[in-house]
Amino acid sequence: MKSIRTRGLVRRVTPLLAIVTVIAVQAGADLKAVLVFPLYLGVVLLSALYLSRSDSLAAAVLAAIGTLAPAIVTRNASGDGAAALLLATALVVAATAVHEVVRRIREDARAAEHKASETEAREERLRITVETAQVGLALIGTAGGWQQVNESLCVILGRSRSELLNMTLADVTADHDKSAIEEALAMLRSGDILRWEAELHQVRGDGSRVPVEITVAAVSDHPSGELVMLVEETDVSSRKRVEGLRDGLVAVRHVIVSATAWDQAAPQFLSALCAYLDWDLAQYWAVDADLRALRLRYGWHRDSNSLEEFHNQSRRLSIASGEGLLGRVWQSGVPSAQEDLSVATDYDRVGAALEAGLKSAVAFPVISDGAVTGVIEMLTHEARQIENDLVTMLSTAGGEIGLFIRRAETAQALRRSETDHRAIFERSPIGIARISSEGELLEANPALLTMLEHDFQVMRSHAWPDLLRAYDQAAARTRSSPLLAGITDGASVQVRAGTGGGNWLWLQLTATSIPDPSGRPEHVLVMVEDVTVVREAQDKLGEALESQRSANATLEKLDKTKTEFLSIVSHEFRTALTGIQGFSELIRDGGLEQDEVRAYGGYIFNDADRVNRLIGDMLDLDRMESGRMSIRTVDVDINEVLSDTIARAGSSPSVEFKADLDPRLPIVVGDRDRLIQVVSNLVNNAVKYSPDGGIVTLSSRSEGDFALVSVTDTGVGIPPDEIGHVFERFRRVRSGAAQSIPGTGLGLTIVKQIVEMHGGKIWVESAVGHGSAFHFTLPLATENLTSQRRHG
Amino acid sequence: MADAAAVAPITVLVADDNDVAQRLCRRVLEKAGYRVLIAADGLEAVEMALSQRPAMILMDVAMPGIDGIEAMLRIKAEIPNQPIVIASAHSMASDGERFLAAGADDILSKPFRLAALVAIVAKLTAKPGV
Repeated sequence: MKSIRTRGLVRRVTPLLAIVTVIAVQAGADLKAVLVFPLYLGVVLLSALYLSRSDSLAAAVLAAIGTLAPAIVTRNASGDGAAALLLATALVVAATAVHEVVRRIREDARAAEHKASETEAREERLRITVETAQVGLALIGTAGGWQQVNESLCVILGRSRSELLNMTLADVTADHDKSAIEEALAMLRSGDILRWEAELHQVRGDGSRVPVEITVAAVSDHPSGELVMLVEETDVSSRKRVEGLRDGLVAVRHVIVSATAWDQAAPQFLSALCAYLDWDLAQYWAVDADLRALRLRYGWHRDSNSLEEFHNQSRRLSIASGEGLLGRVWQSGVPSAQEDLSVATDYDRVGAALEAGLKSAVAFPVISDGAVTGVIEMLTHEARQIENDLVTMLSTAGGEIGLFIRRAETAQALRRSETDHRAIFERSPIGIARISSEGELLEANPALLTMLEHDFQVMRSHAWPDLLRAYDQAAARTRSSPLLAGITDGASVQVRAGTGGGNWLWLQLTATSIPDPSGRPEHVLVMVEDVTVVREAQDKLGEALESQRSANATLEKLDKTKTEFLSIVSHEFRTALTGIQGFSELIRDGGLEQDEVRAYGGYIFNDADRVNRLIGDMLDLDRMESGRMSIRTVDVDINEVLSDTIARAGSSPSVEFKADLDPRLPIVVGDRDRLIQVVSNLVNNAVKYSPDGGIVTLSSRSEGDFALVSVTDTGVGIPPDEIGHVFERFRRVRSGAAQSIPGTGLGLTIVKQIVEMHGGKIWVESAVGHGSAFHFTLPLATENLTSQRRHG
Repeated sequence: MADAAAVAPITVLVADDNDVAQRLCRRVLEKAGYRVLIAADGLEAVEMALSQRPAMILMDVAMPGIDGIEAMLRIKAEIPNQPIVIASAHSMASDGERFLAAGADDILSKPFRLAALVAIVAKLTAKPGV
C-alpha cells in the first residue's frame, strides 16, 4: 500500500460533506434510517480506512447524528429512536474498530517499508565508498582475472573498466614483477597464505609504469562459493618519487663523502642520479674556459647501443652559452627542462635524442664559488613531467656537487703538493733532515743517508748528534746562533764530517724552522749539502793564489836580483876600469919612467883581463841557461885536472893546498876545459874565503859509477840561511867576514850548470867559522871508452 | 903648492882594498904634493883616521871587514868635521844620494879622471889663507 503523504483539507472534509449530503437526502426524502444506514456505514468505514483517527471519528459521530436526527425530530423514540441509537452506536464502534485495524496494518507496512529502505541505503553507501575510494579495489578470480574493479583502480592503471574486466592482474604487472604475482596467487589459492602484500610496478594503458603498493587477500565467504580475491592497490608513485629524490640526494652526498676526486666521483654521481631518479642517461658537461664552451666530460647511461651512440655524438659537441638546453642552463645558472623533445625547438641534439628514443630531458647547473662550472643533463625514454620538487632537488645536488668539485680540487692540489714535497724529499740530491725542536732526528732522506754512509739508526743515534755539535761549534765561530736557537733561518754553516765509510766531507748545513699554527717552531728542516768539492776547489784556488803570490814574489825577487846583478856587474867593471883608465891616463900624459910605464901596463892588462873574464862568465851562463852551449866530450883524467889547478894556484901565498887523490880513479867523459873551469872556480872561492894560513884540500875518489870530487876549505863558512842559495846567480855570501870579497856572483852558478850538463851533481856542506866543502860528481867513462883509452 | 907642500905636506888617507886603486891614488896624489896614507880595509881606515888625523879621507865602499860607509860613520862620530869623500864604483844616482845622506862631504865616482881626483882633494883640503 502506498503511504499517505499528503494531508489535504479536501481529503479531510470530503467524508464530512458526504455524510452531510446523506443527512440532507434523508431529511429531504424522509427516508428510513435503516435505508440510509449503509451509506453512513460506507462513508464511515472509508474514513476510518483513509483518515486519521480523529477525522474518522468525527465522520462516525456526524453519521450517528444523521441517523439519530429523524427520530428526534419525529419524537418517535419508542421504535425508531431505539433503532437509530443502535445504528448510531454501531457506526461509531465500526469506525473506531476499522480505524484501529487499519492503523495496525499501516504500522506494520510502514515498519517493513522502512527496513527495506535502510538496507538499500547501506548498499548504496558501500557502493559509493568503493567507487570513490582513493585506493584501487577489485575482486579477481583464482586465475587472476579482474571481476570487479573500482574507479580508482581504473585511474591508477590508466585503463577503462571494460578493458580491465577482460584482463588479469598479471597482464597489468610489469614484466619483472609478473613471477612474484603468479607465485602469490598460487599460494593464496592453495591456502598457504590468506593475505599477500608487495610493492611492485603495474603497467598502465599508455605503457608507462606505475609503482603500487598491492594487497591481495583471499575472500572465502563469497555467496557463489567460488574463491575470489580482494585486490587493493595504492599508487605510490609520488611517494616513490619523493623517496627517489631523497635517496638520490643521499646517494650524491654519499659519493661526496666517499670520493676524493671529481674524476673518480663523476661516473658514480651520474649513475646514482639515474638509478634513484629513474633516468636513462646522465652527462656532465664541463665549462671549458679556454674554448668558452661546454664540453662533455663524463657520462653514464643504461646499457643500450642507441644511448651509446647518443653519448658518442654528444662527445663531439661544443655548446656555447645560451645555446640549447645546456647553454641556457649554463647562462642562467638555474635548472631547465625539455619535457617533450619531439616538439623541442631549441635543443642541441634533438635528432640524436629522438633517434635514441629519448623523450624528456632535464639539466641543472653545477655551481662552484658562485659560478657555473658545469651542467649535468639527464634524459629518459619516458615522456615525463618535470616536477618542482625534482628541480629543487637537482638544484641542491648541483650546489653540493659544485662544493665537492671545489673541495676535491683543493684536496687534489694539496695532495699533489704533498706528493711533490715527498718526491723532493725522497729524490733530492741534497740531504734533508727533519728534526724535532729538541734536535732529535725524525726523518732523513736517502740522499743524506747515502752522503754520510749511515743507516737511519746510526744516523739518529750518533752521526746526527755529532753533526749538530759540529754545527753549533762552527756557528759559534762565526757568531751565529746555534741550530735550535730558533732564528737560524737561512743561516748556512760549513762543517767537517766523517762518513760511515771513513771519508771526510765538508757539509754545508742550512736550517729552516717550520712553525706550528701558533708560530712556535714545531720542527726544523736542515738541508745538508756536500760541498767537499767546492771547498777543495776553494782550497786549491787558495793554493793557486798563494803560488801565484809566491811566483810574483819570485819575479819581484828576480827583478831585484837583476837590479843587484847590474849593480854588481857595473861595480866590478868600474872597479877594473878605474885602474885601466887611471893608469892609461898617466901613460898618455907622459913623463913617466920606463919601469913605471911597464908596471902600469901590467895593471891595465890585469884589469882588462878581469873585465874580459866577467864578460865571458856572463855569456857562458847565458848560453848554458838558454841551452845554447854544448860540451865537447873527451876522456878526461880528473886527477890531472886537480893537480894542474893546484900547480897553477900554487903561487897563492896565503893558503896551503893539499891533494887527496885516488890513483885508481877511472877517467871520466867530459869537456876538459869546462871541468878545469869548475875546479878552478871552486878553488878560487876556497882561497878567496879562506883566511891567511887556511888549508884548501882537493880530493877525488870513485863512488859507484861516479867520480866524486871535493874542494874543502877552512874558511869563513856559509851561514845556514845562505847555504841554500849559493848556487844562485849573484848570490855571493855577503854577511860576516865574507861581506866584501869581490866577485862576479856567477861562478858557482856556472859551476853547477857545467856539472849538471855532464850528468853530475854538486852540493855544499858548511859550518860557519869552520869552512866549507863543495862536492861534485861526474859519471865515469863506460868500459869501452876506458879500455880504448887504456890501450890507445 | 909644491912649495907649501914641502913646508908642511897635507896628509890624505886613501882607504881602498884594491891594490891597483891604492897605487893609482898614491901615485897621483903624491905627484900633486900630498902625503898619502893607505888603509886596506874599513877598520884600518878608522884606526888611521883617528891616529893620523889626515886633512881628508878618500874612502872606498866595498872593503873587507867594515865597509866604507860604516868606517865613515865611526870616524865622523869621533871627528865630526873630518872631510871624507866616498870614492865608489857604485855608480848609480841612488848610491850617491845614499852616501851623501850618510854624511859624506863629497863623492867621487870610479873610474875617475885624474884631474877630478886632484881637484876634489884640493877642494876639501883647502884652508883659508893657504
